[in-house]
Amino acid sequence: MATELKPENTPQALLEEYRHGFHDSEEKYVFKSGKGLTREIVERISAMKDEPAWMREFRLRAFEVFESKPMPTWGDTALLSEIDFANIHYFVRSTDRAEQSWEDVPDDIKRTFDRLGIPEAERKFLSGVSAQYESEVVYHSVKAELERDGVLFCDMDTAVKLYPEIVQKYLSTIIPINDNKFAALNSAVWSGGSFVYVPKGVTVAMPLQAYFRINTENMGQFERTLIIADEGSKVHYIEGCTAPKFSTSSLHSAVVELIALEGASIRYTTIQNWYRNIFNLVTKRAVARKNATVEWVDGNIGSRLTMKYPAIYLMGEGARGEILSMAFAGEGQHQDAGAKVIHGAPHTTSVVTNKSVTAHGGKTTYRGLVEVYPNAHHSKTRVKCDALLMDDISSSDTKPTMKIDEQFATVEHEASVSKIGEDQLFYAMSRGLAEADATAMIVNGFFDFFIKELPMEYAVELNRLVKMEMEGAVG
Amino acid sequence: MAGQRIADFASIAPGTTRPYKLDGVDILLCNVGGEFYAIEDYCTHDGAPLDAGTLEGRCIVCPRHGATFDVTTGEALTLPAVMPVPSFPVRREGDEIVVEV
Repeated sequence: MATELKPENTPQALLEEYRHGFHDSEEKYVFKSGKGLTREIVERISAMKDEPAWMREFRLRAFEVFESKPMPTWGDTALLSEIDFANIHYFVRSTDRAEQSWEDVPDDIKRTFDRLGIPEAERKFLSGVSAQYESEVVYHSVKAELERDGVLFCDMDTAVKLYPEIVQKYLSTIIPINDNKFAALNSAVWSGGSFVYVPKGVTVAMPLQAYFRINTENMGQFERTLIIADEGSKVHYIEGCTAPKFSTSSLHSAVVELIALEGASIRYTTIQNWYRNIFNLVTKRAVARKNATVEWVDGNIGSRLTMKYPAIYLMGEGARGEILSMAFAGEGQHQDAGAKVIHGAPHTTSVVTNKSVTAHGGKTTYRGLVEVYPNAHHSKTRVKCDALLMDDISSSDTKPTMKIDEQFATVEHEASVSKIGEDQLFYAMSRGLAEADATAMIVNGFFDFFIKELPMEYAVELNRLVKMEMEGAVG
Repeated sequence: MAGQRIADFASIAPGTTRPYKLDGVDILLCNVGGEFYAIEDYCTHDGAPLDAGTLEGRCIVCPRHGATFDVTTGEALTLPAVMPVPSFPVRREGDEIVVEV
């Protein structure tokens, strides 16, 4: 029987389709780019998103930079060398119905959901089975409130179409394409991520979360987030969650840019708990103008290798920055995290607090930078980093750098590495606690500075998670 | 008047740059639409030479991390650069460009 060839089914069209390797309905994807990255794939991503020419040019320029940039020669180069760029799908668009089946989610993640007490609907969202979190009621009430105040909150793909002037004005001004190889990669293939613009003088009362931003690309490998707080405004954004986040893709590289204009305030809270096969290489940077405040609250629990150093550029007189971070590294994990603060204006202040716990042979690295430029007089900075080792096979490095080019500046640095105290454990156990409970209590106390900055439900989950991670941790 | 003759007016095309060393200072001569400007050939962010960067209008983009500077004033336009790059007076004498360092 002869089959009529429709234009999209001609051998030519099918060949074209096959060359890019997309439309694999067997795998429940609407589109899946072929492995590896080429100029054609970047163009294809832009075309599929129906983007304006300026964004296509931006992506292509970034692709050229990505090709020309070498891999970092610092950090965990042995682990980094395992990334096989030619073996990665750079763009996967899922169907609206499901990304993968619940059966594909690893048992250890399901057990963790159970023990953390994560609600059923949320479990499916978190593990990528459901593309949308069932929170539409909450979402609509939040949305009405935001619209009333003129707050713009949507995913970046939508922002490029609806608010091109704002996106063009600010995108990539804090993290240039050339900044590093992974920022260039993100700029070339980004998809999803949040866009927030808070008008002058508006305070957003409740924290904004991606949960409320209904779209189908929440689980992006290469998320791009841009938050602009206009003069005198205030906003808190929360990314991630304490529950483990399952993903089939091995490389995740987000770029987050925060812009706090005069007198504005931004707090950005992240709890990263990627599954332990994932390379999480993120560039996060903020600028604080005159009398503005930026706070990064950054927790790193999951992933195989995380390299993340949230930065704040204090570029106006009286600007203030605070970075609170915690890291946990277990077996096979390396948390290479830290903080950067650049004092580029007078009377600026910053506080960096970093604490890490390492167990089961894991590794943590604190890598930090404080830089005080000439004329940033009367600036003050305080850096404190503490590492807690749970056994003899785990390791922790502290690599702080301080460049001070201004005479009238106050700089404090404090660091400690300690092993969990036998006497503390003995005391707690003599009061009737089991060893695991005693250890969890001590570690939770160690992370208390971080946990108390989180919204209630996150704090509860994180406490439980720490307890789980600590089981059998003392060696 | 002080200054050193470093180039023929016609030898550097508009939209291009050329590095020189004057009195131990690395400078970068930039032709912005027929007007010449000189800045230090050194990114104040990380010390990379700017001569390998691209000149887009009056902005030069550092090839290492993407910081941009206004070559007419030396001003740092985007992060990660914070400090301006030093700029030097340039004038034309006949067919030659003279820079004062």
